[in-house]
Amino acid sequence: MNALLDACFWLWIAALISALVRWVNVARVLGGIGALVGVVGALAALPQGTVTSSFALTLADQRLAIHFSPEALWLMGLGLIPAAFAIWLSTPARSGRPGWLVGALLSLLGAFGVYAVQDGYAFLIAWELMSLGGAVMLLSERLSGQAGTCSLFMLALLEVGAVALLLALLLLGHHAAGTLSFAGFLASASSLSPAARIWIGILLLTGFGAKLGLLPFYEWFPGAYASGSGASGALLSGVVLNAAFFALSRGLVDWLPPAGGGSFFLGTVVTVVGVLSSILSVLYAFQQDDWRRLLSFSSAENAAIAVTALGASLIFRNDGQNALAGLAWTVAMLHLGGHALAKGGLFLCADGVYTAGGAYRIAQNGWLRRAGVAFGIGALFTAMSLAAMPPQIGFVTEWFTFQTLFQGFHLSTLGGRLTLALAGAGIALTAAVAFATFVKLLGVGLLGAGESSAPRIPRRYGLATFLLGIAVLVLAAGMPIWLSGLDNADFVQFGAHSARAMTTDWILVPLTNTFAFISPSKLVIVMPLLALIPLALLLNLRRHGLRRAHTWYGGLRENAQRAATTSLTFANAMRTFYSFIYRPTLDTAREHREVAYFIKRLEFDHDIADVFGPLLFTPIRHGIWRLARWLRALQSGDLNFYLALIGGLLVLILALTLR
Amino acid sequence: MPLWTLFGLKGGNASTSWPRGGPDGQTGVLGMPRFHPERCIEGCERCAEACLPHAITVAEPGGPAKLNVDYGRCVNCQLCVEVCPAEAFTASHDWAFGVRRREDLLWAEALASSDAQALKSGIRRVFGRSLHIRHVDAGSCNGCETELQALNNPFYNLHRLGIFFTPSPRFADLLLVTGPVTYAMRGPLKEAYEGMADPRFVMAVGTCAVSGGTNGGGYACGHGLDGELPVDVYLPGCPPNPAAIIHALLMLLERQSQRIHGGQVVGGAPP
Amino acid sequence: MAYAWYPAGSRDAPEVRYVVHSGAAPLQIWRCRPRTPSLPSLAGIAPLLSWYEREITDLCGLHFEGAPQPEPLVLLPGAQLSAPPLEPGTEAVMRYTPMPPTMPEVSGRMAEDVQVLPWGPIRADVFESAQFDYYYIGEAILHYHPQLFFKHRGMEKRFEGLTPELGAILAERVSGVGSIAHSLACCQAVEAAAGCAVPARARWVRVLLAELERLYNHFHYFGHLSHTTTLKVGDAEGKLLEERVKQVNAMVTGHRLLRGLLIPGGLRREPNLVGISEALRPIREEALRYTAMLEATTTHLDRLITTGVLPRRVAFDQGATGPVERASGLDRDLRRDQPYAAYGEIPIQITIKEAGDAHARQQVRIAETAQIFDIIDRVLNEMPEGPIRARCDPPPSSEGLGWSESPRGSLYYAAHVDHNGRLARVKIKSPSFSNWRVFPYTVHDTNMMDYAINEASFGLTIAGADR
Repeated sequence: MNALLDACFWLWIAALISALVRWVNVARVLGGIGALVGVVGALAALPQGTVTSSFALTLADQRLAIHFSPEALWLMGLGLIPAAFAIWLSTPARSGRPGWLVGALLSLLGAFGVYAVQDGYAFLIAWELMSLGGAVMLLSERLSGQAGTCSLFMLALLEVGAVALLLALLLLGHHAAGTLSFAGFLASASSLSPAARIWIGILLLTGFGAKLGLLPFYEWFPGAYASGSGASGALLSGVVLNAAFFALSRGLVDWLPPAGGGSFFLGTVVTVVGVLSSILSVLYAFQQDDWRRLLSFSSAENAAIAVTALGASLIFRNDGQNALAGLAWTVAMLHLGGHALAKGGLFLCADGVYTAGGAYRIAQNGWLRRAGVAFGIGALFTAMSLAAMPPQIGFVTEWFTFQTLFQGFHLSTLGGRLTLALAGAGIALTAAVAFATFVKLLGVGLLGAGESSAPRIPRRYGLATFLLGIAVLVLAAGMPIWLSGLDNADFVQFGAHSARAMTTDWILVPLTNTFAFISPSKLVIVMPLLALIPLALLLNLRRHGLRRAHTWYGGLRENAQRAATTSLTFANAMRTFYSFIYRPTLDTAREHREVAYFIKRLEFDHDIADVFGPLLFTPIRHGIWRLARWLRALQSGDLNFYLALIGGLLVLILALTLR
Repeated sequence: MPLWTLFGLKGGNASTSWPRGGPDGQTGVLGMPRFHPERCIEGCERCAEACLPHAITVAEPGGPAKLNVDYGRCVNCQLCVEVCPAEAFTASHDWAFGVRRREDLLWAEALASSDAQALKSGIRRVFGRSLHIRHVDAGSCNGCETELQALNNPFYNLHRLGIFFTPSPRFADLLLVTGPVTYAMRGPLKEAYEGMADPRFVMAVGTCAVSGGTNGGGYACGHGLDGELPVDVYLPGCPPNPAAIIHALLMLLERQSQRIHGGQVVGGAPP
Repeated sequence: MAYAWYPAGSRDAPEVRYVVHSGAAPLQIWRCRPRTPSLPSLAGIAPLLSWYEREITDLCGLHFEGAPQPEPLVLLPGAQLSAPPLEPGTEAVMRYTPMPPTMPEVSGRMAEDVQVLPWGPIRADVFESAQFDYYYIGEAILHYHPQLFFKHRGMEKRFEGLTPELGAILAERVSGVGSIAHSLACCQAVEAAAGCAVPARARWVRVLLAELERLYNHFHYFGHLSHTTTLKVGDAEGKLLEERVKQVNAMVTGHRLLRGLLIPGGLRREPNLVGISEALRPIREEALRYTAMLEATTTHLDRLITTGVLPRRVAFDQGATGPVERASGLDRDLRRDQPYAAYGEIPIQITIKEAGDAHARQQVRIAETAQIFDIIDRVLNEMPEGPIRARCDPPPSSEGLGWSESPRGSLYYAAHVDHNGRLARVKIKSPSFSNWRVFPYTVHDTNMMDYAINEASFGLTIAGADR
């Protein structure tokens, strides 16, 4: 293994120990440096990936082996950049910092394991460590009274996923003649029966989907993220999300056969689940009025888009279109890489707002005005990226996603073409709502006038956001260069040099430049040049006299704060339009003075309903309670009953042994 | 389901082409009473007592007439016509009373006609074909508003003259004010004026806006626009009828000429 | 209605008067002479009295204990007078700094998300000035508060010291489109004080003038209502019919708004009735066709049905009047219940609708419009010859109550004459004052799109309410 990645691991161990003994600043520095070293190491090891290194440890007679494939390095490397900032800045809840750092480092170490280990036992341990680390992070911050319930809900759903994973690994292991090493899975993949591959595929989708936020598992996102801070969110939506996706893609692409009965069905299921999850997540994202909840739903949406691309890749591969399969798969990797950067930037932005304003509410308070140019640029670039605006990386990957799905007409079956066409339509809806969501976040969350005496966002957050924003732009502009890092991975997985074919000179193309093309590298030069025209007009204006008048407000001078758009009113129209999903309720209670007609106070509540909460989780919960009540009969406390049970068991054992 | 379009088309063109021919729609409308000072009886002040807005006041001795008549304060109630024993005030149909200077509304003896006051403002060149008006109600009784709203009915059809009402002062060239400027509307009126880009004009429509009329003064009202805003056209009347308003607007645009000098009609009857 | 005045001309002895109108029973007048400048509030029993009490507090300085909403009404928030204006012997001076109005507080989990829209006082298009404050979320209006009285001119104070004749002239200029209704009520108040009998011919001409005013107001109403439902040709037609009636007005009286004819004691001069029937006949035909078309246009009716529903209970408690109350099932009309001018000799059919929505209000006015032509025909046929003016000199220290049914509802003038024979105190109760109080109860919990239609369906003036 790479020496730098080695160093990264040990620095994190050191940081973990420092955090356990409450040397907070040491832990932050070590953890951050470790993350940076990890970034450099990961990016340096592209495009070949690292060599496999084995260790003397054995887990259930499986030797522990570590190996980073190129896509793992890509996702981890890009995910660690915001993680470094998150560790350095740490949670704004100072009292919870030691515990938070412990949790954060456990997550990072778990993620490291998920990316690197090559056998099932170690994988499950690393997976659970990652989840546990997340829970520790959220619980130690104590930012909300609901933290306990939300973390429990998160862990419960993640455990459902873990059980699914366990079953999947056991099935694969059973098929691979008893070994749980991934090399063994890879070797025996081609002989899986259609039924088995469908089951395993769905189990893997469920297991990793619990972490990625596919339906119905995104329900834990808002509660959990909202009980933490932005830094937790940056980690959970960055490295951890990428790790889950990496594992899912490896599972579906490597461990299952490329073509044959059942593969098309599985690919369709993955695509459909991805599209529906992305639509639902983004619709709920749009309605949130808390930075963390909005960004958490957006993470689920982006993960779902990547899953859709992955599904498209499976469908293409099943049809024998290896170049297109490679294209789709690469697009998914690019998407989550860029997403980690941008999402991390906005989560840190949220932390900045919290540190200055004391709350994570999306409300117009004039933050941008008082925060300085660097913060503004960073916030703008990261929001642009998530809203898929050119020339940012979000735009590039969104465009690539569409181009991939549009090339579905190359498929030979009608079902495949239809699936990808509908997926394209669904992703288009998602993109539109995502755009509106980030306009809302930037516009309502950061713009506005605000009080002039209000506190400013600390400079460190501005710097972090700025650097991540620049990283987003650099990633987009330099994409022709960075794509070569994934080329080898494409060849290994699909036998086609898709990544290399995605760029021609400084133009990005979806394998062929006759279909479509964009060039963020050139846009980065052209767009500032276009800005010269309005700048020239502005300078010209100074020559003419300018008389300023107040905003026309019907004759009275209005307080801009009082009449500002709020988070709810911005999103309200969609509640009506999509009321069959949201099922909104509006409750206005009026409190009167002594006589009716004279209104003293309005009590107002406007709420939307989750889709899966009442439909799925509540019935399951009630079912479990009913079962528990029924089984309580066993705890009757009656000695005679217990003796009778023991007697019955003895009789049973006797019967069994006498057979 | 009735076919409104057909109904409207069958109604034909209901617009008058006044002032370029066509009826002005003001048949029978009484205007400002004409003053004949030579018929005044010595020592009789019945018209001054009967004049509610104090448009008629007793003049200092030695002046050209025994009474000062300020048409900027006249509300066309015709009481002076009724109480005068000597017909010094006669009813007339002079309602086109738009003027550029406030002094022109004061009855004056000889017609030192300063009528060639063609302001080289170039207003006709710039706004002659298209004028946008922002109306502000500064406390009127709603009479002026109903006549202003009538300007856009099919009969007068202000759009055929290229004149429009706009919702925001940003788009407006002319600020048209009615009402004696109540205490509460003074601020919004100033805001509206400040919100207009140059070149901008102001027109006082109705006797209340010109001088306060019967409603001005007291604890809640001012005395019209004088002193509040620079006024380009004064149009007294209570309320001035739509044809008078059209005449005043066209006069502002130098498409029609001012008919009133020294409180009297010069240049014949209105078309 | 309720008002306060100072009988002895000294500020220590105010008297509060309450006038009660219940259907065809005679009007009841209650007097109250408080020994202290503080009275118990009756707004708990009759909610509509709240506005009258607040106005008395603002203008006369009396205080009402236990008033549910004690904020000033006639004076805007931030307006300060040196003394109550109607107190005898004071010259009140106004100082004003604009402040936001009092709105109910909002609580709840999402309280900060509720948006506030202060709209006005200068609105788009040619409108009267008033400010409307909304609490709203997107389309849904949670609370609505009309901040009127930007146009408060202090008209009641202006009447003090005028001769009754000049008072009638001033009354025409309180509300421009209700000139006849106001001056008629004022003249009748003075005539009641003087106990003079108006000649028959004058009384019949007064009916003609009142109905002409009602006619052009109703046409304007239909035009404006069609404008809000974007029925363009309906809008143009309504305004054109209004213009035709105004031209008839000019022909008959010399003034498009019918001013200059009424005087206490009768009329000042003969109206010109030549050709009036011929002028009105085509208007009548066109009007009947027009209103029938309005009632048959489903796109127009769609916007009106169930818009701005005013329940009967609320209409009664809050003192709705005119077509607004008749559309909510309350059967009151001053022309029939308390006949004045020549209305006692003309049977009036009152149309009552129960729905209380904008459509019902339109229907009531359509029925009234059709009836106007019948009334005018009757007047022209049955008008007697004879004198048109009688002597009317109210004795010193007399008082009279006059009323009329304006196009918008019941209008009252209370005139108190001082010892010089001049007006000492005039109280004006305009129908718009009553109906603006009712209007917010039809707006809460409705939506923004319907607001303009609802407001147009009420057809109120602001000058009348603000005075």
